[in-house]
Amino acid sequence: MQQIASKNAPPPSLVVPHFAVGAILWLVASTLIALHPEIFTQHYFSPKLLAITHLVVLGWISMIIFGALYQLIPVILETKLFSEKFARISFYTLIIGTLLLSYSFWNSQLKLPLHVAVTFLLISVVLFAINVFFTATKAEKQSIEKKFIITSVTWLLLTVSLGILAALNLSQSFLTINHLELLKIHAHWGIVGWFLQLIIGVGSKLLPMFMVSHHLNTKKLTLAYALINLGLIAGTIEILVPTSILLYFSAVLILVGVFSFLSFLFEAYQKRIKKSLDKGMKQSMIAFLILIIPMLMMIVLQLNLPNLTLFKTELSLAYGVTLLIGFISSLVMGQTYKTLPFIVWLKVYKNKVGKGNIPFPKDLYSERIASIQLWAYTIGFMGFLAGILLNHNITLQISSIIMLIAVILFAVNVLKIIFHQPKTHV
Amino acid sequence: MCRERTPKEQELFLKLKGVIDPELMVNIIDLGLVYDVKIDEEKNIIHVEMTLTSPGCPMGDMIMEDIKQLIINNYTEYEPDIQLIWNPPWTLENLTEDGKRFLNR
Repeated sequence: MQQIASKNAPPPSLVVPHFAVGAILWLVASTLIALHPEIFTQHYFSPKLLAITHLVVLGWISMIIFGALYQLIPVILETKLFSEKFARISFYTLIIGTLLLSYSFWNSQLKLPLHVAVTFLLISVVLFAINVFFTATKAEKQSIEKKFIITSVTWLLLTVSLGILAALNLSQSFLTINHLELLKIHAHWGIVGWFLQLIIGVGSKLLPMFMVSHHLNTKKLTLAYALINLGLIAGTIEILVPTSILLYFSAVLILVGVFSFLSFLFEAYQKRIKKSLDKGMKQSMIAFLILIIPMLMMIVLQLNLPNLTLFKTELSLAYGVTLLIGFISSLVMGQTYKTLPFIVWLKVYKNKVGKGNIPFPKDLYSERIASIQLWAYTIGFMGFLAGILLNHNITLQISSIIMLIAVILFAVNVLKIIFHQPKTHV
Repeated sequence: MCRERTPKEQELFLKLKGVIDPELMVNIIDLGLVYDVKIDEEKNIIHVEMTLTSPGCPMGDMIMEDIKQLIINNYTEYEPDIQLIWNPPWTLENLTEDGKRFLNR
């Protein structure tokens, strides 16, 4: 028999700190971007850019995903989390590992600090993966969402393993493969294999639930699952054994897979019965619109047009930035408004329900701040993207400051939610 | 055929409009989440049969707790018994005209 999801939810003390640390590290990363926008006019394989990228992908995005997944697994898989202890150890090791890794890259210290950092990160990710795999094993129900989640965590393990290999190779230099090629595989495994598939797995369950959309064609998700994974495998083989045909094949498979998911999402949007979208859902929908930009960039990069050769470095950097800072970060900010207020609200008002007038989850943050943040971030990001493509320092400076203001507003709202004090009017 | 509610059951049914789904911001009656209310005068129990828009709904037990407290506060001599059922599942047809209007805003 199906149970109510909240019966399986872990304690808020396990989940909420992930959001707090994630928001703070996102603020740190945004501050670094605003202080050093010139980094984004250089080649993407530079120490400072590697530092910021890893702060964003591990300290901000993965931090929030880890925390949110511990809360959402009971909703999606309808079972309890395998181990809260593993989740707590994974949280602390992720913080230490991320900070040390970013410090090592920023200061180009590629020996001891880097080795210690990757050890902590490996512990964190392995514990997280064990937790997800064993929780999924407990869940009786088979679903496409479950497949996406398990496969995405497998890609995360592969990404981190390859990252460690690449990091060790920076100081020991034992691999024959070109470092930039290794970086391409590492980035695609991480962004497409881990982030994108996890987003599809979780999003395909939650987004229709938030919009109250029923009778959706889940075959589109099955298609997306098959195509994205085949595309990733084909792309990996191509980089190891170069044959340009396989690269086009890989790009086409991933593109069609992503558009198959976007088509599912569009169907959910059209069939929604909750017409007006709140700020969190608006920002999430904008994020999915932004996702179309790197998909188009991928086509342009694959076409390898001769007159674009000089432009390729900017385009490659813009492609990665649009995926991480444009698409995924916008989505994570939007979905934070959909999950964090509920978690805190349940903690604060669980025993007060029905015993007086209590606020709703949406009352835990300022909608006005969320609205300004949403538009400031979107405008700031578009400016930033233009700055990268045009290699224009002033545009990058102005837009990174606008993005920083938006991230400050986001952090204010996150702290407002976390430190909410109970209010009742009997 | 549906059993006809007694005036007291109907009064309770309407009172349940005071319970709001915190995600959708619409009351549970207009959402069509409540399938039946039955007052057992012999055993002094109020039975409520209800569902949720989705089995994964994280607010499910908060909504049920809200109903329980409403019954305890308004019908002191009765004991609440809230049953969550998934069959028939919730569909758009469960929405009342008011429910559709609230969600369309």
